[in-house]
Amino acid sequence: MVFSDLFFLYIFIPAVMLCYALARCADKAYADNAKNSRFSMPKNICPFSNGVLIVFSLIFYAWGEPVYILLMLASVVMNYVVGLCIGGGEKRSKPALVIGIILNIAAIGVFKYADFLVGTLNFFGLPLNKPGIALPIGISFYTFQSMSYLIDVYRGDVKPQKNFASLLLYISMFPQLIAGPIVRYSTIAAEINRRHITFDDIAEGSFRFLIGLGKKVILANQLSEISSKFLDGDLASLTTGGAWLGILAYTFQIYFDFSGYSDMAIGMGRCLGFHFDENFNYPYISCTITEFWRRWHISLGSFFRDYVYIPLGGNRRHQMINIIIVWFLTGLWHGASWNFVAWGLYFGLIIVIEKYTILKVRDKIWPVLLHIYSLFLIIIGWVIFYFEDFTRLKDFIVIMFGGGKAGGWDLVTQNELFGNLWLLVAAVVCCIPIGKLIRNAYDKASRMDSAGAEAALTVMKTVSAVAILAVSTLLLIGSTTNPFLYLRF
Amino acid sequence: MKPKYEKKYKEPRATKRRRAANIAYLVTLTLAFETVGLSLIVFPRSTESITEKRTLKEFPEFTAEDYMSGKFTSDISEWFSDTVPFRDELTNMSTALRELRGFRQDGIRLHNVGTTPTESKPSTTAPVTTTKPIESEPDTDESEAATETAPTEETSVPEEQGNHEISAVEQEINEDDAVNITNNGIAVVGTRALMLYGGSFSVGESYAGVINKYKEALGEDVNVYSMIIPTSCEFYSPPSVAAYCGSELDNINHVIEYLRDDVKAVDVYTTLAAHTGEDIYLRTDHHWAALGAYYAAKEFAAAAGVPFSDISEYEQRVVHDYVGTMYGYSGDIVLKNNPEDFYYYVPKNVEYTTTYYNYILEDGDIVGAEEPYDSNFFIKYGHGNGMAYCTYMGGDAKIVKVSTNAGTGRKLAIFKDSYGNALPPFLMGSFDEIYVIDMRYFTHNAVDYLTENGITDVLFANNAFHAATASTVRYYENFLTQEDWGY
Repeated sequence: MVFSDLFFLYIFIPAVMLCYALARCADKAYADNAKNSRFSMPKNICPFSNGVLIVFSLIFYAWGEPVYILLMLASVVMNYVVGLCIGGGEKRSKPALVIGIILNIAAIGVFKYADFLVGTLNFFGLPLNKPGIALPIGISFYTFQSMSYLIDVYRGDVKPQKNFASLLLYISMFPQLIAGPIVRYSTIAAEINRRHITFDDIAEGSFRFLIGLGKKVILANQLSEISSKFLDGDLASLTTGGAWLGILAYTFQIYFDFSGYSDMAIGMGRCLGFHFDENFNYPYISCTITEFWRRWHISLGSFFRDYVYIPLGGNRRHQMINIIIVWFLTGLWHGASWNFVAWGLYFGLIIVIEKYTILKVRDKIWPVLLHIYSLFLIIIGWVIFYFEDFTRLKDFIVIMFGGGKAGGWDLVTQNELFGNLWLLVAAVVCCIPIGKLIRNAYDKASRMDSAGAEAALTVMKTVSAVAILAVSTLLLIGSTTNPFLYLRF
Repeated sequence: MKPKYEKKYKEPRATKRRRAANIAYLVTLTLAFETVGLSLIVFPRSTESITEKRTLKEFPEFTAEDYMSGKFTSDISEWFSDTVPFRDELTNMSTALRELRGFRQDGIRLHNVGTTPTESKPSTTAPVTTTKPIESEPDTDESEAATETAPTEETSVPEEQGNHEISAVEQEINEDDAVNITNNGIAVVGTRALMLYGGSFSVGESYAGVINKYKEALGEDVNVYSMIIPTSCEFYSPPSVAAYCGSELDNINHVIEYLRDDVKAVDVYTTLAAHTGEDIYLRTDHHWAALGAYYAAKEFAAAAGVPFSDISEYEQRVVHDYVGTMYGYSGDIVLKNNPEDFYYYVPKNVEYTTTYYNYILEDGDIVGAEEPYDSNFFIKYGHGNGMAYCTYMGGDAKIVKVSTNAGTGRKLAIFKDSYGNALPPFLMGSFDEIYVIDMRYFTHNAVDYLTENGITDVLFANNAFHAATASTVRYYENFLTQEDWGY
């Protein structure tokens, strides 16, 4: 099931919300009952709502992966046992951690990278048959979450979860199960067993969800029509203008698609009483690539920083090697293909160069130049990211820089540009923190003793929420489902 | 008892107000959400789309295999969004919304136009040879792929208007399957939709070849004619759009070059080109208009040496507010917002009876035939009915025999695509019998059938798209060689 689907929106969500609300009432009664009893307060005061969430999360996952749900469950069982072993005593903790990490990496290796590995070996002359295993949805996300849990337990940052259901809930929680963000166990450990939901949470969460829905359905889906037109077609007839328009549309598309998903996940989490960390922070306003990676897919970047880069020695020991490893893995995580590795290393290289050049003189350079510099490199990055076929990649880059046979411009390009001009303008606007400005004004107004401003902002928020819902619903009717890009990873 | 810390708030009113604001927001949003959600569930689900001319998805049947592969659940999701209540009305709104993405320069909008102008010029590609063994069944080639987008189901019943012409004839949508193969996208220029021609030049030779074979097989006594009907993109494309169109004229001339001398090429290209100021093509449909067919029929009658009635001998009828297939194909709201009048012409001074030999189709394939029956040639459609091109005989999956009191002693067989459907009305005063045979639906051996029925004239009337499509040639080849199916 994907979030941007009428069935999910109008059948699944209401069902979850209804059952969840009832379960919250049951939880409250349970907690009140416990409070009044002479026994100490139970650790888990949300058993009913957790149960509801688990059931719906499993339905959600099984909807798309009726078979691989067993793999996910097996992974949770394994991580549960390993987690307990790690917490069971100092002697056992290290071997248990090693085994746990190996098993997690083995799972992702077999189910995501087996074909890639065999393909690479074939390239070097080893004739092996590709096993042809289909990628289980979300495996990259839930195995990473599991590993972060094991490592955090090992480091003593969190206690091992003794309640299997609670760990299952952490791994399988449907908002973030299949396409992130990669929620650390430590982030929500406390909220699994004890959480409060206020009107503020639901208001903020639902609005955030709708913003995400709008990003996906109104922007990303429409932009994908432009990008696929220019990027998937016959390159021999692609003009330079078309190439730029196509990759620009893809640049917007992938941001709105992925950050939209994160917004929806964070928003739903909030409505359910969980506070996930932010995953995007307006990445396209970055001045440098180093900054870009602090703003893009933050949960993945911080995962590699905390669990790979720093343990390897970080800045202190063989930093270059560490950087190469981290960016190799970052690239590889995005897909079982060498172009993703190239994409990761491309950014690794730029970040190293920046460290010794731009970052030292950053304040002396006109910011506009820095923005142009960053966007240019980001866009080239998406070219590498998009084309898994290196021949097409090379051809496309040649066309981008005027080396194509079809010339610079044609009617199709012009027609797409003008036919989508307002969409593109909207995309640019939505890449800058316009929402943040409004939000600040809103917060200011709510602090000010001005009922009028508060009312006006509420009306604005309400109208935009309803409008996004209505427009997204209309656009989803009859459309073939556009799955989120990051479901691939 | 209030906990102590609440006293620390400096702005309790603002907090309260914020909560009130949140509640107001949430109540409104929930109401909106539930209104939409309940409407989606309560109202009856749509079962067909007139715009897209197809039946919508059905709720999937449960099988263990489908479940395990995830197909069952994804089919449910698809069914849910495909069969939304009031689907066509809502998709019209959604199409109108999409229009806001940008604007049209010079009133032109391209839909699925390839990034390259098509080369419908002579190429080095080997022509489809006619010596290849032909599949025994007509519907086994790429037309199957094409029928995904081509409508096959009956989706509409003409509005009852108490008119005597309402017929019990099964309503079918004209499916121009190959049009979906050879087109190079759609350009909407102003309020006119143009399906851009992307025909394959090399097919022309084999198209001519198969017509030559008919002539060879039928002998001297039967006249064979080829009428390749150009389509609107040839005449109405501004130069910028024309760059993405192959040249139909080149292709038509290419076919003519390969026709035997005793096969008569009917030049309707010149005729139609002379009348482009009139409504000879539909603006919102991929077909021509009756007026175009009239001029073409006139040209054919002259070539065949048969009498021809002026258009004043006909009664003009009209379906107002017609929006044809191109809206569904392109999803262009401009077409929806600019409907046209669908005119047709009923002969006043000719007596004729129309006999239908309808085929029964399953998934686009012939699986049987109905008992022949007599009915009206013209089927009355109500205003605004997007199916109005089916006015002629109700569609394609049939043989139609028109017997007239023309008294010329000539009998005509028309092998045609749906363009050809518009021709017979103008030839009813010219031939004693007219057999209308669709290129996709014919279960007899062509030579036997034509001979048995004493046909004197055979006309191949196809539009330029079909004349440049390999499957057309295969169908016609097949008719020549196939055994009678027995119905």
